[in-house]
Amino acid sequence: MLKVFKKVITFAILFGIIITVIPRSNALDNTEIQTDDPIIIDAIENIKFYSSFNYQTLTADRLNRITQDFYLPANYGDVQITYTIDSKYLSLSQEKETISLRQGTDYVDQEVFKVSVKTLPNVLVGEVVFSIHASLSYNNNIDYHTFQGQVIPVIPDDFLGGSLYTLVRYGKMFLEGALLTIGISLLGTIIGFILALLLATGKIIKTTELDNKFQKTLKIFMNKLSSIYITIFRGTPMIVQASFFWYGFGLFGDPLLCGLFVVSLNTAAYIAEIIRGGVESIDKGQSEAAYALGLNYTQSLLFIIFPQAIKNSMPAIGNEFVINIKDTAVLSVIGIFELFNQATKITGIHYRQLEAYAIVALIYLFLTYSTTSILKLVEKRMGMKPLELTSSN
Amino acid sequence: MSIIKIHNLHKAYDQDEVLKGINLEIKQGEILSIIGSSGSGKSTLLRCINYLEIPTSGEILFHNENFFTSPKNIQILRSRVGMVFQSFNLFENKNVIDNLILAPLKILKKNKEDLRKKALETLDMVGMKDFAMKMPKTLSGGQKQRVAIARALMMNPEVILFDEPTSALDPEMVGEVLDTIKSLAKTGITMIIVTHEMSFAKELSHRVIFMNEGIVYEEGSPNEIFQSPKLPRTKEFLKRFIN
Ligand SMILES: Nc1ncnc2c1ncn2[C@@H]1O[C@H](COP(=O)(O)OP(=O)(O)OP(=O)(O)O)[C@@H](O)[C@H]1O
Ligand SMILES: [Mg+2]
Repeated sequence: MLKVFKKVITFAILFGIIITVIPRSNALDNTEIQTDDPIIIDAIENIKFYSSFNYQTLTADRLNRITQDFYLPANYGDVQITYTIDSKYLSLSQEKETISLRQGTDYVDQEVFKVSVKTLPNVLVGEVVFSIHASLSYNNNIDYHTFQGQVIPVIPDDFLGGSLYTLVRYGKMFLEGALLTIGISLLGTIIGFILALLLATGKIIKTTELDNKFQKTLKIFMNKLSSIYITIFRGTPMIVQASFFWYGFGLFGDPLLCGLFVVSLNTAAYIAEIIRGGVESIDKGQSEAAYALGLNYTQSLLFIIFPQAIKNSMPAIGNEFVINIKDTAVLSVIGIFELFNQATKITGIHYRQLEAYAIVALIYLFLTYSTTSILKLVEKRMGMKPLELTSSN
Repeated sequence: MSIIKIHNLHKAYDQDEVLKGINLEIKQGEILSIIGSSGSGKSTLLRCINYLEIPTSGEILFHNENFFTSPKNIQILRSRVGMVFQSFNLFENKNVIDNLILAPLKILKKNKEDLRKKALETLDMVGMKDFAMKMPKTLSGGQKQRVAIARALMMNPEVILFDEPTSALDPEMVGEVLDTIKSLAKTGITMIIVTHEMSFAKELSHRVIFMNEGIVYEEGSPNEIFQSPKLPRTKEFLKRFIN
């Protein structure tokens, strides 16, 4: 028991460490302009750097994500510009070269200094800021300006390196996804459990000889309603339910609330059946003893039958929580960024599927394994018979 | 003064008639034992008295009043007629003292502290005071049955129905439960006891009825039934218990 606990905790701590060492990306603004020469100001504001890839213009955002060589213009109109760069990742060539830039249908020559990438920081180092100090001269007027950018690590080609890169760089996204997955699953299971108590009551309530016509009709109606509900929600895939309520009705105007609603309703149907089974497995003598003392049906159900049925059902209800951790992945279909959807989003950044899905599989495994272990521990403490993990998919 | 009157009581499960017209009158303070072979309808008769089984026809009067008129009235009758089951049926989710106070708390709406005091006194009476905080599953059969008797007493019933209270017990525990019932007999409470403990029935009861195939086949004082039964089935049945 202690061993399981240790394992779970070690895993959690490791995961936590990896998440917390992730360098936070802080996009940098370029420094303030200090000169008041309008021509130089114009140059500073409109100067363009060029990527070595098709000589594309480097916007401020792209400058913050440098992974390959780029060019600095030697002039902007009549303003002559020279540069220095202090970065161990970059080297600036002092030789001017000429590149031809496309302008509309024509090509225009531009003199530039080449900045070569010597090496890139690895993922554990993360983004590294560099400064480009420019001195701009015009009409014997010289002004200085500093531009800032970042060199960033690139994803290694191999699987292990790629996985490490993905985990470290996007750990925060995985963590957010995992927290959302746990949150929806847990809340959905709790709300589902409460709904299930009503459903199970509706399903087990029986008419008796002394009921009047109204009571009989009401009870039969409740039986039917609960049965239909349970049949529908257990008989249709959750992905269809989610799409139905979100794309069909835009329920609650928020996919997250709608998703929670669907998970709760779906779980309620399954837990209702679990509780109904639990109630039926309680010895008839328990309710008879209650009746013989003068307690009524509701009191017997509330104080004697449900507490026992729920206690016996706890392992199966815990199992529903574990199933929900996995099954909430289908909520990605309505645009909730739970764990699976975060992984899908991450695959789109570098077009690398394997690493992100491998990591997400491991995280799911960790979540289900640790939840199961904790539930088993609690069940043992409370003297319940643990249930072996089964799954709906 | 009769406390219970049973008129022409019939009970059938589908086509299967289990009680075939029972007529019986039980006097206040009387101890009535019901004996008979398995399947003769003893439990069914007992369970009809507090409507755990719904009679097919016939009438049961309690203090000359029919309570089978509404769920509310049935509950009132049940709160005045205690029952002790063969299989104890202690509430598994409640400890001993909570088993005792649940019904009076919810039905009689009495003060919880008073009830706890009364529960401890009642447990003391059946020799189970030290077990007040124990869960039922930690008790032996004999202990469970004594708690079940205490639980029935908590409602201050006017009648207690015992359905083979010692049949599920290991032999060494039968004595403690019978002793508890004997001490109860001294309080003057009306008791109807279905039992296979013949010497107990003989010693304790004022009257014994022998049931056979859904009817009261023979009835009389313990001496009449056990010493000189008149009818053949009774003789045959009792012969088996002499050995
Ligand atoms: N719920 C039921 N449905 C159908 N038949 C039943 C039911 N309960 C009892 N019976 C039948 O009614 C008959 C009488 O049962 P009952 O339990 O009253 O007998 P008993 O005299 O108490 O026997 P025992 O000494 O074995 O307890 C039996 O044949 C039994 O099978
Ligand atoms: Mg019986």
